[in-house]
Parts: sequence; structure tokens; C-alpha cells
Amino acid sequence: MLPAIRDKSGLIAALCLAAFGGYVTYTGSKLPYVADVGPGSGFFPFWIGTGLLLFSGYQTIVCFSAPRQQSESAEFSWHGSRRALIGWVAMAASIFLYRWIGFAVSFVLLTIFFIVVIERRSALPALGIGVALALIFHLLFVVALGVTLPTGPWGF
Amino acid sequence: MDALTNLLLGFSVALQPVNLFWCFVGVVLGTVVGVLPGLGPAATIAMLLPLTLKMDHTTAIISLAGIFYGARYGGSTTSILLNMPGESSSVATCLDGYQMARNGRAGAALGISAIASFIAGTVGVLGLMLISPPLARFALRFAPPEYFALMVLGLAMVVFLAGDSMVKALLALLIGLWLATIGTDLFTAESRFTFGQAKLLGGIDFIAATVGMFAIGEVLMDLESNSGGEIIKLPRGLKNLMPTWQDLKDCRFAFVNGSLIGFFVGALPGAGATVASFLSYGLEKAVSRHPEKFGTGVIEGVAAPEGANNADAGGALVPLLTLGIPGGNTTAILLGGLILWGYKPGPLLIPEHPELFWGLVASMYVGNVILLVLNLPLVPLFAQILRLPSYVLHPFIIGISVVGVYSVNNSVFDIWMMALFGLLGYLMRKLDFPASALILGLVLGDVLERALRQSLMMSQGDLTILINRPISATMLAIAAGLLLLPAVRWVRAWRAEVVERES
Amino acid sequence: MKPLRNFLPVMLIGITILLAQPAASQEFKPSKIIETVVHTGPGGGSDLFARAIAEMLQKEKLISQRMQVVNKSGGGPAVAMAYLAEKRGETHTVGFYTGVWVTNPLTTVEATVTLKDLTPITRLVLEPAVIAVKADSPYKTMKDFIDAAKKNPKQLAQSGGTITSRDNLMRLLLQKTTGAQWNFISFPSGGERLSNLLGGHVQMMVIEPQEAGEQIRAGNLRVIATLTEKRLPSMANVPTIKEQGIDVPLIPQARGMLLPPAASKEVIAYWEGVFDAFVKTPTWKQYVEQNQFEDAYLKGPALNKFIDALKEQMREVLKEAGAKVVR
Repeated sequence: MLPAIRDKSGLIAALCLAAFGGYVTYTGSKLPYVADVGPGSGFFPFWIGTGLLLFSGYQTIVCFSAPRQQSESAEFSWHGSRRALIGWVAMAASIFLYRWIGFAVSFVLLTIFFIVVIERRSALPALGIGVALALIFHLLFVVALGVTLPTGPWGF
Repeated sequence: MDALTNLLLGFSVALQPVNLFWCFVGVVLGTVVGVLPGLGPAATIAMLLPLTLKMDHTTAIISLAGIFYGARYGGSTTSILLNMPGESSSVATCLDGYQMARNGRAGAALGISAIASFIAGTVGVLGLMLISPPLARFALRFAPPEYFALMVLGLAMVVFLAGDSMVKALLALLIGLWLATIGTDLFTAESRFTFGQAKLLGGIDFIAATVGMFAIGEVLMDLESNSGGEIIKLPRGLKNLMPTWQDLKDCRFAFVNGSLIGFFVGALPGAGATVASFLSYGLEKAVSRHPEKFGTGVIEGVAAPEGANNADAGGALVPLLTLGIPGGNTTAILLGGLILWGYKPGPLLIPEHPELFWGLVASMYVGNVILLVLNLPLVPLFAQILRLPSYVLHPFIIGISVVGVYSVNNSVFDIWMMALFGLLGYLMRKLDFPASALILGLVLGDVLERALRQSLMMSQGDLTILINRPISATMLAIAAGLLLLPAVRWVRAWRAEVVERES
Repeated sequence: MKPLRNFLPVMLIGITILLAQPAASQEFKPSKIIETVVHTGPGGGSDLFARAIAEMLQKEKLISQRMQVVNKSGGGPAVAMAYLAEKRGETHTVGFYTGVWVTNPLTTVEATVTLKDLTPITRLVLEPAVIAVKADSPYKTMKDFIDAAKKNPKQLAQSGGTITSRDNLMRLLLQKTTGAQWNFISFPSGGERLSNLLGGHVQMMVIEPQEAGEQIRAGNLRVIATLTEKRLPSMANVPTIKEQGIDVPLIPQARGMLLPPAASKEVIAYWEGVFDAFVKTPTWKQYVEQNQFEDAYLKGPALNKFIDALKEQMREVLKEAGAKVVR
């Protein structure tokens, strides 16, 4: 019978890291291990990958064994993750839109999304906050400091 | 000419109204630039170089240097308040600084940071004034084996960043080391892990990685809870707006630690303020009576790295002014400025242009005082940012992060990197992997690998070069000791457990 | 009436020709900030070069708009070249290149943009190099160093950049010509290369004269040979490498200016005009002399011939160096 899995998310993480370690070791082994003198460009990646494999292997075993002194906080709850990931997807979408509508408008949209969808507040103040922040950024960075930001077809 | 006479000459230059004014402008601009992530002092100085051509040269260097060390003051503000490092050298400040802010002591953290920066900055100027030539000569003795040993010592600090799980810290460190290998290999010009992208040939942009992991990661963590209101409850009372006398007493060693480590590491060409700040943090934790509290909001954990990154500015000027060798990006552009104005930076710069050097040194004293006077009263003001409701703060942080990261290379690719690192930072927080260990690996990985390969090139493959040389042998021995400590502790704990079980 | 009607077709043709004229003789003049791309960070060699040129052009009133230096560093010149390639058709973007813009695409698979893909406009200078040792070292001439290297093969060391950099390529050519062997240690920045030489951890380095100048004046460095055809005016008592009997091909470090791909004739003509006038000014001549460059102005077909010849020379040298040549 398989031993009880104490820490499911930790196990997945450890396995992912092990796979990653395998990838790094493999790629590292394809690069030259030794150069003229001393280690080549493959030396470090190879050993980093090996270390990753070793330690993630250890982690995998730990996930099956009895917890030593795990406090309550070790109970990884994924309860709020949905909100966090929605926020991340929204941010990624806004980055994607920079090319077409520029930073300022995209940022206003992101702010509205955050405030209206994630925090469940009303839309009008959200618009106000978004525009205010975008304006501050524009004045501070573009005008005062001369930094360029991604612009849309309307020049800002 | 002895130092005191020179210093008086310097003050007579530095206290002229025009130089005072431009010193003020420089340090204020530096502070602003340091607060904002991405836009760094190097780029700002580069932007302002054309304007300086119309100024007197001493005035110009006073102003530009002001930007340089002023930025180190500013870098702590967003690190403490928003877990967003404004400079790469402020990453170590985030570790305890942000936790202090979460505990309601943002003001104390900001205040101690200003005080530590002032003390360290002053020590840096003193060092620059008194021991530049011998220090520069000592720094020349640092060859690749010594750099390698220094990096190993820095990595041994992982031991002190570990928290509960050493293995997880090591895994995070390894990921960081891997990230450092991405890009073109210096020696063989081969590309590693670039996935065919020309944009990755230069490696991962450090600012994108740290801002992503810390700031964006923090925003994502915050989004989990449906608090809707303030992120941090700010208790009232002066105790939390300013450091107390007890705080100052607690930080006695941190002040010394930060100043000395920052100054010495700064004088080594190629080692940066980031290394200095992590080393200082690690040392502080090592000698502390309560090391396990580091990472939860310990004030010495803010004072040490903040002092280190300020003293580093003074140290970085040592090789520049005594030998004409730039130690890093910002000093390289300062060198460029000197060349543009017609000076020839080298060992003869100081003897031939004493008013330039001593005027600069004296102005740095003045600049440090200005910065302290400027920053301390602003501390309660800055701390009020935390009163903003989370639904305003979140977009604000994302906005500043994006602009900051974009301003480094004008590249949307970097913003994507930031987003990916944000996700990574979030996942690491959830799974209890220390992000600081990853950053440590990323920062040190480059220099570590380079130094090892350079050392072996020097010795034709003979590893004993690392222990044959006194300086590197000493540092490696200390590092070995540090790494063995947890093993010893683990063995002792295991033995105690065995004894307990048997009784 | 009859005569007027006969004139009509001629008039119509005449008017058409008149209307067509302005379009054909339209000149280009920059109307906003000119983005100036370099491949080094702020303070690097190309960065300082571009800034100096920008300042001199403005001083001589040869351009009406400001040139803003934009640093696109990473992978040598690869990131800068890729960035410029994306700016195809942009009239207000220029770049400053060096010899490494030719060699990098030869060795790096991801560097898909070559120098000829962009629009080279001029070559401005050739940057000489010299061989320097620590002032208190026992090597007074190049022969001393070569003899010592032959007596202790692979014991002496030289500091420099990557293995495809000029420093190392010169070393390989020298090794082949003289039969001596010594090590090469890469350091990413000039500061570190110099500090390791001054610290005695390496014995020799290839360095540009203006970098070495101050150290020589302070008595820290000694130049034992110049890698040039003729002696350098500032080091009149230092023999060239050929004068010392070592006949090795010299690798010129060229610096010049270029435009994004497919630049229009008008833009090319504008910039050629600017630089034609610029290289005649005393400001430029003074700059060249102060920095110990070789004034080597080329443009048009002669420039293209130079770039082609350089590429072939580099390909040969790289192959001999054992570097992987992918293009």
C-alpha cells in the first residue's frame, strides 16, 4: 500500500522540480563539459541540474513521511488562489494589449477590472481611480523623467 | 599635503553656493530615482551628462555623485513599504523591512534605514578620504580565486536565509543559479538556455526578476484575502513612526557591519552593492542573539543592508578615483563623464586635480547630511502610503512595476519576464520556498561561475589555487564553517531526539 | 482660337512636369529626436563614442535635432542589432557599430541580423591597440615576452574579453606566428582586465592607447608593442609589432554609423552629407587626435567592400581560433 501523502502540493512541486532538474542536467550535458582549461559552459548547468534532481528527490520522499514539527501554516490552502490567478491573468492580458492600445489605456482598463470584478466595487469610482493613477504615471514618468512608455495609436 | 589640509580645501570648494545648490539637486534627484524601480542612477546620470557640459567640472561631479549615493537612500522606501526593491541593492532590505511595515513599524524601518545610511555614508567618505590608496592597492590583490571565495561566502548566507526547510532554500538557490546561466557564456561565447530568443542573450534582466518576484508576487498574495480595505493596519503612536532609542541600541553592530562590509566590497571592481548588502545581512544574522527572528521584521535586518549599500557607494569611488578603474555600471558612466569633460582618470588624477577630488569628498559629507535631514521628516509622510486601500494600492504597484521594468530596456519582453516572475514568486510563497534564496543565486551565480572558471584558467586546472592563497583560503574556511553549522545543529537535535525517545 | 488650342497639350504636359518636380527633389531633414542605438551600457566604449559624436555634431551645428543615446546591451551587439532591424523604415533611428557587429552573427545562432542587413553609412575611425605589461615586469620588448612564454608554455596569462573578441583573436594569431603559447582569461569589463594586470595576476593585455595612457603616465604600465602599421604619435619610441619582426595580420577595430534596414535614399543622402562635412571640422580632428584613433572615413561602395573583406577575414580567424562558425 502506498504511504499516505502528507503534502500534496509539496509533492507536485517536488516532482516538477525533479523534472526541471532532469531537463537542466540533460541540456547541460549536451554543452561542452570541459573547455581548453577548466570547466566548459556545460559544467555549471550540469551540476545545478544534478543538485536539483537530488534535492527534489529528497523533497518527494519528505512528502510521504511523517511531519516532524509542521505548524498549522504548513496547511497550504489554495482557497484564495483563484482570485490571485484571475488577477494575474488580467495583468497578463493588459500587458498583451500594450501593443495595440498603449500603456495608459490598458492600465485604466486593468484598474477597472481589479476594482470592479475582483473587489466588487462600483464602476464609476474605479474609472476615476484608474484615470487618476494613469495621469500620475504619465506626469511623473513621461513628462518629468522623460521615460518612454508603450503607446497606442493615439500617442500615449 | 595631509588629509586635514586637503579636507579644508575640499570644504572651501564644497560649501560654495553653486556647489551646494547642485549637490542638493543631485541628492534629491538621486533619492527620487532610487525610490522608483527600474530607472537607476546609471541611466539618470547618462541622461544628464549633456547638461553638465556647460557646468564647472567640480560642480558637475558633485551633482552626479549626489545622484549616485542619493539613489541608495531612496531605494529603501519602496522596499520597506511595498516589498518592491527600487534598486538591486535594496533587495536585502525587503526581507525584514517589509515585514516591519506589515507589523506596523514602517516608520521605524524607514527611519533606521535613513540613519544607517547616514552613518555608513559618512564612514564611506571617511574611508575614501583616508585610506583610498592603500585600499585600492589591497583590492588589486583580489584575483579570481578571492572573488570565488567571496561568492561562496555569500552563498553560505543561504544557510541563514533558510528558515525552516534547508532543502527548499537550496532548491530555490539552485533555481537562481540556473537563471544566472541563461544567456551568452562569457568565455566560450556559447548561448545557454536562450530558447532561440535573441532577447535572452544578455541573460535575465535582474530588475524584472526581483520586481516581479517581490512586488507582483506580493500583490498576488494579497489578492487571495478578500480584505478589501487596508492591507496593513497602521497603529498610531510615535513608536511606530520613528525608531526608538532601543532600536538604535539594537543596531549598534549593524551600523558598523554595514559600513565596513559595504565599503570594502564596494572597492572591489566587479562585486556590487547587492553582494555587499546580502553579505552584511547574513553577517548580522550570524552574530545575532535571535537569528530565527530574521525575516519576520527585525530592525537590524534593515539597518545592516541599508548601511552596506550606502558605504558601497563610497567604496566604489576608491578604484575610480585612485586608479581610474570603474567598479560597476554607475562608476563607469561617472568615468565617462570625467573623460567627456577632458580629464584623464587614472592614478594621477588626484595629485593633479586635488580640488576635484577633495571638493567631491567634502561635498559627500554635505550630501549625506542633506539626505538625512531630508529623509527623516518625510518618513511619517511616506508611511501614509500604506493607508491607501488595497484596491488602489494593487493597481498602483502593478503600474509602477511595469513602468520601472520597462524603463530599463524599453522592452515589453522584460515586462513579460516580470509577470512570469510574479507568478513564480507567488507560487514560491505558497509552497514555502524562500524567494530571497533564489535572488541570492541569481545575483551571485554569474560572478561565482566566472570566478571559478577564471581561477582554473589561471592555475591551468589546478583546484588548489583556491586554498593556496591566504585571502581566499580564509574566506573559504569561514564559508565551510557556516555551512557545517546547520549540519552540527541537525546532528545535535537528532541526538537529543534519540535520547528523548529512549528515556 | 486655333493657336491657343495647339498650345493646350504642351501646356498640360508642362504643368504636369512642374507639379512632379517637388516630389522628386524632396529632401530629408530630421524633425524630432534622433534615437541613437549603441550596444554597450552607459559608460561603455560605444556609448561614450556616440555621446561624443552627438555633442560634436550639435556643436558644429550640423544637425538640428538632439541625438539621444539608447543603450541596448546584451549578447554583445545581438540585442542592439535585432532592435535596429525591427526599426525598418524608421527615419529617426540610427546606430553606432563596431567590428564585433560583424563577428557576432558569425558565431551566435540567435544573432540573425547581420551588419549588411542594416544600412551602413560610414566608417569613422579605426581604433588601434597596443600590448601592455606591468611596468615592473621583466618584459621590455615583445620578444622578451614571447621568449618567456616559450620557456614556460601555458604559464603566462593575458586578460581580455570573450574568446571571439579581438584580444583573443590577436593572441591566437600571435601564437601561430611565433609558436609561443600562453593562457587567456576572460573578464567582462575593462576595469577588471586592467586591475588584474596591475595586480600581477595576468602578465599582459591588449588595450586601447587612451585607456593605457594614464596608467603609463603614472608609471604603472609599459607598452611593449603597438598593433598598428605605423608607430603611434603618442608613443613614438614604442616599435610596432611588425618592426619587432613578428609579421602578424592586424585586426582593425572599426567604428562607424548605420541606419535601420532599407533606409530610403533621401535619409542616406542626408547622413552622408552630415558626416562628409563633419570629418573636415577641426573639432573632429582634435577628437581623433586626443583619443589616438586613426581617421578612417569611408562610405558607400568602399565601405561595403571593407565590411565584406572584414567578414571574410574574421571568418578565417575564427575558424582557426576553434570557434564555432555558424554562418
